[in-house]
Amino acid sequence: MRALHIAATGMAAQELNVQVISNNIANLRTTGYKKQRAAFQDLIYDHVRRVGAQASDQGTILPVGIDIGGGVKTVGTPRLMTQGTLSPTGNDLDIAIRGEGFFKIQMPDGTYAYTRDGSFQMDQQGRVVTAQGNPVQPTITIPQNSSGLTINAQGQVTVTLPGSTTPTTVGQIGLTRFINKAGLQPIGDNLFTDTPASGTPQDGVANADGFGDMQQSNLEQANVEVVSEISDLIAAQRAYEMNAKVITAADQMLQSTSNLFR
Amino acid sequence: MENTLLVGLSRQMTLERQMDVVANNVANVNTTGYKADKSLFQEYLTSGAHQDDFKGADRRVSYVTDRATWHDFSQGPAEATKNPLDVAIDGKAFLVVQTPGGERYTRDGSLQINSQGQLVTSAGYPVLGNAGPIVFQPTDKEVTINADGGVSVLEGLSRIDSIRGKLRLVSFAQAQKLVKEGANLYAPGQANPAQPDTTSKVRQGFIEKSNVNSVAEMSKMIEVTRAYTQISALLQQQGDLRKSALDKLADVPA
Repeated sequence: MRALHIAATGMAAQELNVQVISNNIANLRTTGYKKQRAAFQDLIYDHVRRVGAQASDQGTILPVGIDIGGGVKTVGTPRLMTQGTLSPTGNDLDIAIRGEGFFKIQMPDGTYAYTRDGSFQMDQQGRVVTAQGNPVQPTITIPQNSSGLTINAQGQVTVTLPGSTTPTTVGQIGLTRFINKAGLQPIGDNLFTDTPASGTPQDGVANADGFGDMQQSNLEQANVEVVSEISDLIAAQRAYEMNAKVITAADQMLQSTSNLFR
Repeated sequence: MENTLLVGLSRQMTLERQMDVVANNVANVNTTGYKADKSLFQEYLTSGAHQDDFKGADRRVSYVTDRATWHDFSQGPAEATKNPLDVAIDGKAFLVVQTPGGERYTRDGSLQINSQGQLVTSAGYPVLGNAGPIVFQPTDKEVTINADGGVSVLEGLSRIDSIRGKLRLVSFAQAQKLVKEGANLYAPGQANPAQPDTTSKVRQGFIEKSNVNSVAEMSKMIEVTRAYTQISALLQQQGDLRKSALDKLADVPA
């Protein structure tokens, strides 16, 4: 009875679907989080009677065949890289990107990771770092006792030094973009790494060449929409139940056959 | 005498296959662009010996056989995703996909961009435009796909749309000849050329959900199960009948 196995693929797929949805809901308030969606495809078909096969010597062909499908498979969990809404925080080192681009972060092992989470801090040396303490690239050091930290739309960081009235530029926060940003690999901590699928990182500056601009004292919220997640969750749950029912029904059929032997 | 068993068996075999079709529909209830399959049955007459010269002519025994599964190509519901690379097709057209085995067709419009900037399906095969694959530049943003399938972008800081291609939409005179290949793809089938489609519309930011009617599939599933158990009961009664006939007829009085 193939129906048993077909329904099992359906249950497995919906279980994964619920996992993806629950991860989206869990990250509802995660800065810079981009929602994922489980994408499904039908499995291979068994062509029991091939459509278009010769039905007679007169050359008539079968207009329809018998194709028995094998169930469903998950093809991927693509990430939806749409813009999240910006919410003002009042914090000088909170930066949101409006448009294309990622912040480039140097990891402790020297490699680079990318993030849309612009809730930065200052470490003991005055460097601009992520919540994990990894420096933002290019590294920017804020001088001690400076005030009036300003980050403009291009990402230029200016401060007012003690005894001075004019602002001094201390660096520029860069942005990096990818031709296929959905192909980035998530590594947790709101960070992504580049992969062969994402294409090579293209470094640049905000507000130029198709990059987005920077908004100081704002953070980008997750692009998860609760209503659509909940309705997807209900649909996934119902689909799971229906597949379970198919297994029960197929089992009943098998049982009635085995009851023939007495 | 054996006919009852064999006729019953032919019905049970087709019911099992119908159950497989129902199970596959239910398993794909959340598959983007999936089209439901339906089973068709036909009466199959035995060509065995028969004598029609009697007053009451011999009735020929008819079995049942499954003739076909046909694809229900009706429109699936569109779900808003707000993803600029999701397209749903309103109409009977298909997108054209370049696979290693040649051109294939799909209704699954959850598209991606690969590392070369090509517009591809979730499985990574290029989606063809009227002039081959649609390729984006590294500085492109704000992808817009219009109702006719035209793909345009804003390049860099430009405020004017740059055209990147036009999605090729095709339809078929005999859509039933399309062969499901799995992975949401259809092969063209024999003598079934793809024709350009101009009536279908593309809706950006939507995906077409599976057109499986879950309520109908559930009731069909119950119908199949009941029919199957009825045949089983029939076969059982027939077995009992034969057993008692053997017992009685072969009962040699002492």
